[in-house]
Order: sequence, then C-alpha cells, then structure tokens
Amino acid sequence: MAGKSQKKLEEIVERFVELKDTSELMIDLAYSSLLLNSKELAEEVQRLEEYVDKLHTEFELLVLSSKFKREEAKGFLGLIRLGVVTEKIADAAAQIAEVVLRGIEPHPVLALAIEEAEETITYTKVTENSPLVNKTLREAKIPEETGMWVLAIKRGEKCLRPKPDTRIQVGDILIASGYAEGEEDLKKLASP
Amino acid sequence: MPLFEKIQYKPVTVREVLREMKNLSELMIDLAYSAALYNDKDLAEDVMELEKRIDTLTYHLEMTIMVAARDAKDAEALVGVSKAAAAADKISDAAADIAAIVTQNIGVHPIVSEIFERVEERLAKAKVNEKSVLIGKEIGELKLAPRMGVDIIAIFREKDWIINPKENEKVKAGDILIARGTHEGLKELKELCEAKLDKLED
Repeated sequence: MAGKSQKKLEEIVERFVELKDTSELMIDLAYSSLLLNSKELAEEVQRLEEYVDKLHTEFELLVLSSKFKREEAKGFLGLIRLGVVTEKIADAAAQIAEVVLRGIEPHPVLALAIEEAEETITYTKVTENSPLVNKTLREAKIPEETGMWVLAIKRGEKCLRPKPDTRIQVGDILIASGYAEGEEDLKKLASP
Repeated sequence: MPLFEKIQYKPVTVREVLREMKNLSELMIDLAYSAALYNDKDLAEDVMELEKRIDTLTYHLEMTIMVAARDAKDAEALVGVSKAAAAADKISDAAADIAAIVTQNIGVHPIVSEIFERVEERLAKAKVNEKSVLIGKEIGELKLAPRMGVDIIAIFREKDWIINPKENEKVKAGDILIARGTHEGLKELKELCEAKLDKLED
C-alpha cells in the first residue's frame, strides 16, 4: 500500500484507540461515581459521552474519506463497526453515571459488588515545580508514594486512561481515588 | 432464530451476581477487541458464550430485585442496582457486537491490526497441558510480568471464570489461561502451557 494511505490508516487507528480508551475509562469512572456517590465524576462521564459522540463522528468521516478499494471495503466496515461499539460502551457508562445525577442514593450492595477500596476522589493539578512532570506513571510510583490510584488524567478536552507509559505533563489534572489520608500526599507531590 | 434458554425465578445473591456481571462484561470487552483485531474466531466464540451467560444473569438479578422491593423506599434504593446491571448487560452486548465482526467474517483491515499491535497489547489464551511446568505454581511466584511482559487476567476452570486471579492462585492442569502482553511474551507463555518449553527463563 502506498505511503499516503498507510499514513491515513495510522491516523484512523490513532483515533480509534482514543475512542476505545475513552469509552473504557468512562466505565471505570462511572462505577467509581456510583460507588462514591460523586456528582463531579458522574458529570465528567456525561461530558465524556458528548466528547465520544464528537470523536466518533470524526472517526467515521475519516474512514469514509479514506478512498479504499472495493476489495478492501469489508475491512473498513469492520472498523466502522468497532467505532459504533465504543460509542455504545460510552452510552452504558453514561447510564451508570446517570443514577448518581438523578440523586438516587446508591444501595450499599453496589459498593460490595464493585469491590474497590475507594473512600474519596480527588482532583489535583500538576504544577511546573512538581517532581512528577515529564515522568511516566510507571516512574512516578504514585500509588506507592501516596496510596492514591490515578483513575484518569484530564488534559484539556481529553481525558486519558492511565497506562504505565503515559507521561505526566504540566497542567494535567490527576483524578485519583483512595483513602482520605493519601489526598494530602498527592497534593504535595503534584502541586508542591 | 437463536435458541433461548427457559428462565425461571431463582433467588440469587445480588452482590455476587452484579459483581460477576461487572467483571465478566469488562473481560468480554478485552477478549472481543483482541478477537476482532487479530481475527481470532476462538476468542470471538468465547465472547458469544459469555454474552448468553450475562443475559441469563440479568434475568435472575432483575427478578430477585423485584421480589426484594417491598415499598417505595426499597424501589428507590434498588433502581440503581437494576440500572448498573442493565449497563453491564449493554456492555456485554457491545462486546458481542465486536466479536460478531469476526464470526460474520467481516474482519478488520490487516494493516489496522498491524498498526494496532504496535500501540496496544493483545490477549491470548492457552490451555495448561498435563506436563506443563506451570502446574502447582502460584501466579505470583511465576513472575510473568518481569520475566516475559505478560499478565494473567483470567482463568477458565471447570466451566467457571476466575477473573483477575489472586497472586496465590495455583495453576492447575486443564486451566485455560487468558493473558495480556507482548506478542513474544504470549508465545512463550503458550509454549510453557503446552509443555513445549519446560523451564522458566530469567
């Protein structure tokens, strides 16, 4: 395949990976919002759902404009279907978060089923003087240092699913959960 | 038309069923993406089977919730549980849609899989042969992550799924391991399971 179309495909896959990651991140955030009865997190999920809709449209347009050959059409149909599914997953996450936004006090059985040891959610901005800047999550060892688990990283309009290789940048907002004692430690680390 | 299993009321533990639905639906998504991107029919069939299981669980859970609600207050407290279960069911349906890309022979463009492989880890399954060196070892002591960049995310044992197995879970003959990791690492794990490799290298 010519270099140009290879580049286009790379772009399509990149967009798809973002859709996939965002939709899965939303599930995590949605269950956490339910567990902690956190309106803030639930709103984040709803906001991301709108973002996924937008991203999904861009993805479909990109696939449709890639001028594939007739014999390749099936492979591209498969891609379109994958996109549709990420959108469905995002909807399911939004549905979980909706329970919280409707003011329904989560039944205790939910916490038992979700099985995460979470007490609190904290949003912390990474400032210029933080030792975390430019470190990957693997290097940053945030759970070891603070006992807090990074659920998501907000970077502008995007919300990233934390992976060991994700590099922390100035201005990132870390959404983390854990026990209340860890909150201060994380704040000290991210915005000293 | 597909065959549907007859469903009858049976009391279930809401906590356990919901936990199973949540864990299975998340596992299904991982399995389904791997099935679609690497055109793995076997994994796709597993997803389809799991989807049926979740459907049945949803029925049982919903019926138990209905029986449990005695008044308006109960109904308010339980509607969240029902919604969360419905969402897990929806997620499992989405996973089945991904798997259908494989079972309906649509497939994903091969170059996409190639590019995807560079950015994402893949899943593979391997059956533990009776002669495998892994038998009787705890997952933690195998140190698969530092050794070969592989994590075991689930075990299928005697028709049951153990999701995110604990460090002290012992590998048994006949187990089907679902692992995530690099291509080479997964190949090595498969060879260990099938007793084509008989020692763990450091």
